Amino acid sequence: MTPFINWLSQLPSLISTPAAWGIFLTGAGIYLINEWRIRFLMWGAQYFFVGILFARIFDTRPEMALLKTLVGWLICGAFLISARVRGQTTPQVGPRWRWSSNLPFRILSLLTMTVVAYLASQKYPLPFISADLALACFILIVLAILFIGTEEDDALVTGVGVLNLLSALDIFYSSQDPGLLVTGLLVMVNLLIGLAASYLAVVEVAE
Amino acid sequence: MTIPAPLVLIGAPLAMAVVLQLLRRWTMFMALLATLTTLFCGLLVSFPPLLDILSSGAWQIALEEPLSILGRVVVVEPADRLPLTFIFITAAILFVIAWRLLPHSNFFPVGLMMVAMLAGALMVKQVVYTALLVEMAAILAVFPLHEPVGAHYGRHTKGGARYIVYMTLALPGLMVTQLLLDLFAIFPNDTTYLQAATILLGLSFAILLGAVPFQTWLSTVATNGSPPVVTFLFTVNLGTVWFMLLAYLESYAWLVTQASFAPLFTTVGLLMMVIGGLLAASQRHLGRLVGYATLVDNGAMFVALGTWQVSGVTLAVMLLLARPLALGLMTMGLDGLRRLGSGDDAVETLAGAAWRAPWRTMAFVVGGIALAGFPLSLSFAAHWGLYRVLSAASVFQAVLALAGCAGVMMGVLGVGRVLLAPLPQNASREHSPEDPVVLILIVLLIGATLLSGIFPQSISRIVAEMATGFTFFTS
Repeated sequence: MTPFINWLSQLPSLISTPAAWGIFLTGAGIYLINEWRIRFLMWGAQYFFVGILFARIFDTRPEMALLKTLVGWLICGAFLISARVRGQTTPQVGPRWRWSSNLPFRILSLLTMTVVAYLASQKYPLPFISADLALACFILIVLAILFIGTEEDDALVTGVGVLNLLSALDIFYSSQDPGLLVTGLLVMVNLLIGLAASYLAVVEVAE
Repeated sequence: MTIPAPLVLIGAPLAMAVVLQLLRRWTMFMALLATLTTLFCGLLVSFPPLLDILSSGAWQIALEEPLSILGRVVVVEPADRLPLTFIFITAAILFVIAWRLLPHSNFFPVGLMMVAMLAGALMVKQVVYTALLVEMAAILAVFPLHEPVGAHYGRHTKGGARYIVYMTLALPGLMVTQLLLDLFAIFPNDTTYLQAATILLGLSFAILLGAVPFQTWLSTVATNGSPPVVTFLFTVNLGTVWFMLLAYLESYAWLVTQASFAPLFTTVGLLMMVIGGLLAASQRHLGRLVGYATLVDNGAMFVALGTWQVSGVTLAVMLLLARPLALGLMTMGLDGLRRLGSGDDAVETLAGAAWRAPWRTMAFVVGGIALAGFPLSLSFAAHWGLYRVLSAASVFQAVLALAGCAGVMMGVLGVGRVLLAPLPQNASREHSPEDPVVLILIVLLIGATLLSGIFPQSISRIVAEMATGFTFFTS
């Protein structure tokens, strides 16, 4: 193993806690800012942080982590196209960059749920995975609840929520059983959800 | 060379799905090929002599031959034959129904892919793969569910989104159950793993089956979705989940020995029946009525299993077998009535619709009565058996179950009354032209419903024989 590869393989364990908080920050961006270009960038960044966590899980097979990240970015691309189609058919009113509606409520619920996630990760540690990975799982679950709970009418944001939930499950399950078949099937489920959510967003527009 | 049957049962629908994508312009060919493929697979499982006919000198299809995929075994076990036959034959019937209702639809190729996934889910023996395959089938369903075919179905996509959310919520429980079972195999003295697995499995199945309080996806999907696809979800997909539950009860003896399971099933089932009945009785939308009627039917199946008797399993399977006929009829009725209301299925919009679309109205009402478990239908025989078994233990529970079904009946009659109301003065009195093929299908389905209601013995005998494959209550 070359020194660079060696350094690269140690990197994920050093930065997995910052990566967990990176997931939170990007999720907060998606939740609070109602502009699909920014949401897309945030979500792409979130998949980067999720990829770092996967690199830690698949420490002997970094290509698996890379695969998961690339699939995530692929889904981001599909969402971007759907959001563009929707943006073209819906007339833009007001400034392009704007906060989400009910911002104070959203900030309050985000902070409350983040505290809950942090305390849950401390009080109820998930079995057989490290504390930082458990924290990331809890943050992803909390974000999923917020996205699905408050933006149910928006197929794209609901899709992001479902994919966050799947990422949490993927991190937890892959830590226990990093088998090729399960990983492959989970990747397929991710892709299908991405496609389905993009499709729903476009179909709604078409009508 | 021996070809394992699972390879044919999964491979044939998948291969045909690819072909059908190329034939989207020709709905009749798509429907015909999809029906023949699923019928072939269904007969292959249920009629073993067909295997001998198909096997030539060099090639032989073996039903019991396992298929190994990366070390995971996929095999048709004797107990899998009934579920596989059910999903293939039901899918075949629904493809015929969809022929005239969904022109150029992706329902045919996607439906075949879903059937392949669900068949795989039934044949693979590890919970984690079953869960993932069921999830994939559920996600695929969204594409035809909200396909803008016939200009009325794609408008609101909330149903599909909610369906994905609920199916994904059920996934972690099933996957983690597998981990817990693996841990229990390593530490057999630590029963906390089993308790946790029981809770997670129960929760996941409650979500998958739309048990109260997770029932909202049933009504939303039924309201927003394309009727034939909704019927597919409520029969083939939900049927697979029911058979999965039965298979787990059969495979994991510890699950049956959990003392609280029988009262839990009964309580959840009765709750579903009562709440579903109440909601159905007060329903003003035809689509939602279908959703709540299915909720009551699912509740009846829970109650049947909650009796913790062999006859309970028989009744549950019979209820499941009766559902495609009733829902198929409701689908045909709902589809036509929605078209009449330009996509709206509120009863106010459809007042007097029976005079303009009499056959569709008849299909909806007869299907509704059948799903509610009233005569003459196969479902009536199953419900009657359920009331008898229940009343032997508790008359109160039997009355509650009956009240739930009566609620659905009231809902159907209420809708029927409005549909049969005199047409408003300003309304169009033009008779809606009816597709002759749809008419024939409606007549055939009504005939099959009545026949199975008048002569339920032959079907109940087959069901009882099939249910002997599930021995968990006798052990």
